[in-house]
Amino acid sequence: MHLLLILLLTLNISSTHASDEKTIKELFDKYERVMSEHKTELIDDVFTKKFIRESGGKEEFIEKIKELPKAKKKTKLKRILERWKKSKIGNMFIAKVKKDTHNSKNSEPTSSNFVLIEEDGKLKIDGTVSDDE
Amino acid sequence: MPWFLSLFILFISQLTKADDSGFFSAPDLSQFSSEISWSDPEWPLELVPIQPETYTRNTNARFCTRPLEMVDTVVIHHSETSPSTTAVEINSYHLARGTADDPWYMIAYSYVINSPYAKMKLPETKVTVGRPLEIVGAHAGSKAFVPMDSEQLKMWRENKILCGKENEEFKLDPALVQNDTIKANVTTLGIVINGNYAPFSQDNPNGYSRRSPRYPTKQTQDLVARLSCQLQKKYPRIKNIKWHNFYHSTTCPGNLKNYIGQIISMAKEYGCTFY
Repeated sequence: MHLLLILLLTLNISSTHASDEKTIKELFDKYERVMSEHKTELIDDVFTKKFIRESGGKEEFIEKIKELPKAKKKTKLKRILERWKKSKIGNMFIAKVKKDTHNSKNSEPTSSNFVLIEEDGKLKIDGTVSDDE
Repeated sequence: MPWFLSLFILFISQLTKADDSGFFSAPDLSQFSSEISWSDPEWPLELVPIQPETYTRNTNARFCTRPLEMVDTVVIHHSETSPSTTAVEINSYHLARGTADDPWYMIAYSYVINSPYAKMKLPETKVTVGRPLEIVGAHAGSKAFVPMDSEQLKMWRENKILCGKENEEFKLDPALVQNDTIKANVTTLGIVINGNYAPFSQDNPNGYSRRSPRYPTKQTQDLVARLSCQLQKKYPRIKNIKWHNFYHSTTCPGNLKNYIGQIISMAKEYGCTFY
């Protein structure tokens, strides 16, 4: 009985972990659609209100997205969630996202560290922090 | 039953330990100095006021200490965040970025500057102290190595750079040196200007629109010049001002890099020579 309790607790912890990862992956799929396919109707799902406000407001942010070249399906780069970590400070997630340069002319891999926080019950991007150590 | 309870508590504590970063909030870094005041009747300016700050640290993380004579270079960064981000927030981001295998001790930079972009009024300009100067920073890239001069080599050979965790014995770390070159973090200190001075891209959603690039104000450039000059007056071996992507490929510090020459010229007017 006790062992079963421990097992259930462990499974519960693992499934929380898995659902976090799934949520983060879904978020970056949406991010990709906003940035590469200009699906700007998704920006409220992807970015925090504070981030959009600090980016000059929704209209200006959409303009910036539209300045980016739309990705063609053949050359579309994938962004890979390399690792993520939930911080003990302020319930914040840091997700390191790596650009997949496979089949790309640009052979140098780059990565970005995104800050994610929960807003209105959803994880959203609150910005990035300068990359490195 | 009690044996099971103990076992259960032990099990739970081990579970939490797996992700336990050992953070605690009672820093006593009083043995280190971050003030850069000195007595010089020739100094023509008021000292840049530097705000003190208290940081949470990760006690599971290793860090290295160094004599300040090891430091010869100031490295300029941008934070990639909003200009109003606080030094405490940057510390939280850096703690959160660490991993179980590679935990970060505390904020990577020694000084944090809040200042507005050109043509903006906010945030109010201020300098906040970050990681103490005597603690090796974590900002120039862990794979960047730089040559040592004879004095730096001597300090290294005399075991003056030691690494360890809080409340543990500090030891020499041979990985800091490769063929008489040393990790750039050991000989540099990081100054971060909060803000994002790089263009908007898929990897940099905080970046500026190409129609309206962001620049540092003259006041920000002057502040960096004065702060660097103050550092040189107190620690005369500091002779260089570089920028993050001098050391390795990164967008940091965006177009701040284009202002380093100007900052060096400004510092010269205050009687400091930088390269």
